[in-house]
Amino acid sequence: MIEVQHLTKRFVGRTAVDDVSFEVGKGEVVGFLGPNGAGKSTTMRMLTGYLPATMGTARVAGHDVFSDSIRARREIGYMPESVPLYDEMRVVEYLNFRAALKGLRGRAVKENVGRVMDLTGLKDVQRKIVASLSKGYRQRLGLADALVHRPRLLILDEPTNGLDPNQIRQVRSLIAQLSTEHTILISTHILTEVEMVCRRVIIIHRGKIRADDTPENLARSSRSAGMLTVEMKAPAEEGSEALQGLAGIRRATAVPSAANGGWQQFEVKLDTGADPREEIAELTRGRGWPLRELRANQATLEDVFVEITQRD
Amino acid sequence: MRTFFILLTKELRSFFLSPVAWVVLAMFMAICGLSFSWSINILREKPQDQSIVQWTFVPVWFWLYYPFLFPLITMRLFAEEQKLGTLESLLTAPVRTWQVMLAKYFSAVIFYVVLWLPVLAYFGILTWILRGKVEIPQGALMGSYLILLITGLFHLALGSLASALTKNQIIAAILGFAFILLHFLIGVFVMQQAQDHQEFRPIMDYVAIKGHIESFASGLLDTRPMVYYTSGTLFILMLTHQVLEYRRWKS
Repeated sequence: MIEVQHLTKRFVGRTAVDDVSFEVGKGEVVGFLGPNGAGKSTTMRMLTGYLPATMGTARVAGHDVFSDSIRARREIGYMPESVPLYDEMRVVEYLNFRAALKGLRGRAVKENVGRVMDLTGLKDVQRKIVASLSKGYRQRLGLADALVHRPRLLILDEPTNGLDPNQIRQVRSLIAQLSTEHTILISTHILTEVEMVCRRVIIIHRGKIRADDTPENLARSSRSAGMLTVEMKAPAEEGSEALQGLAGIRRATAVPSAANGGWQQFEVKLDTGADPREEIAELTRGRGWPLRELRANQATLEDVFVEITQRD
Repeated sequence: MRTFFILLTKELRSFFLSPVAWVVLAMFMAICGLSFSWSINILREKPQDQSIVQWTFVPVWFWLYYPFLFPLITMRLFAEEQKLGTLESLLTAPVRTWQVMLAKYFSAVIFYVVLWLPVLAYFGILTWILRGKVEIPQGALMGSYLILLITGLFHLALGSLASALTKNQIIAAILGFAFILLHFLIGVFVMQQAQDHQEFRPIMDYVAIKGHIESFASGLLDTRPMVYYTSGTLFILMLTHQVLEYRRWKS
């Protein structure tokens, strides 16, 4: 659905997107992540044909977004970050206008506008002036606009930006619902959202792609994966040495902490694929060290994101 | 073409939903009504060299409101879209930049034409009241409307260019007014020079807007100003298109 080859965008004095290449297959839901100013919005704007590239090519549904821009744009439903809308129009008027602009005619306009208003919960406010809508409804209207012409590809730039937790949950479930019919490229800062919705993640930083994998694989590759936390009543030095003596443990470090009744926490780095939790339990029983925590650390997408974006 | 008409309809609706448009319309009707009634009073007092058409369209006070009209009509065209970011959602739909530009420009042209229609009605009412006792020079009336239309097309293009150059409507209005004033003053300068220097006369025939309106209002139709304003309008519209593309590319 999306083929991007060596895409580069230079502005005066800075390179916003630097030789980016990736592909998104039909039906995929891809999270496009990166810190502010990483190049996410610029890449998305190039994919929608709004910005020309300095170098490289991008195709959507087989159409070059630069040389065959109008056809490519017919396949795209785009929701920009700031959700710009015409404040003086009514909700239904705005959607009718956008549907007609995107090539729908006659009954198809009415049907599709009705469909997206049902889908996004805008029916109750359809006669309201856009200027009077709350942030949540504006966001929904932006999403309805992106969906109205049944595009094959949805490009959503921070669709939950500025929403309260309930509204975020609603938008998230809507996106999950849409993922059955559309290919989706979604940019967001809320990483739990990505873990829930996306089956693939692309992390971009300083204009370059730094990671491209499933959220699970990325979490496994994190530095904080393959770690155990052990808390037992044992002297720091003796405990570390004893743990390090077990098979499968690369390193055990006592975590410096204030006196708390003799309890000591240890960070244990494991060899790849090792799981010595049983042996640790045996050890504490044998030495008479009471054990109150033995936990395998699960790396999150947030850990991976922080590692990648703070590496340099 | 269908896309153009969808955009044009939306633009016209936006125009007539805007309070500025109604204020401009009301003020313009008031000014034109006063101007027309003064013209009748002047002609009632004693015979004049100039016809009622000339008194209506080229009195001194005409230049006090005419240059202000265009920035008021065009200031929001692109500046507002750029400020709100709606130009991005417009141009990521399957729409070309020139379609957006022409739809906006022609909505301004239609509004401008609507502004002048009541004056035409005043002449119609006067003709009906006089019932053939006094003849209103039809050629001069047509000439006046023709020159108002072609200079209007040119000035609306200048205003559109000013609006494309900035995100701020006030700056767009000031810039548009400055462009129109500059063009007017160049015309005045050339007219003054032409009195003493014959070589300025051919230039004056092209660029002196004051002279154009005066000659058309007296019923003299000259093709040179028509060529000048039409080609100028096309050039400025092309420039506006390029400005919009440039601003999009660097956004």
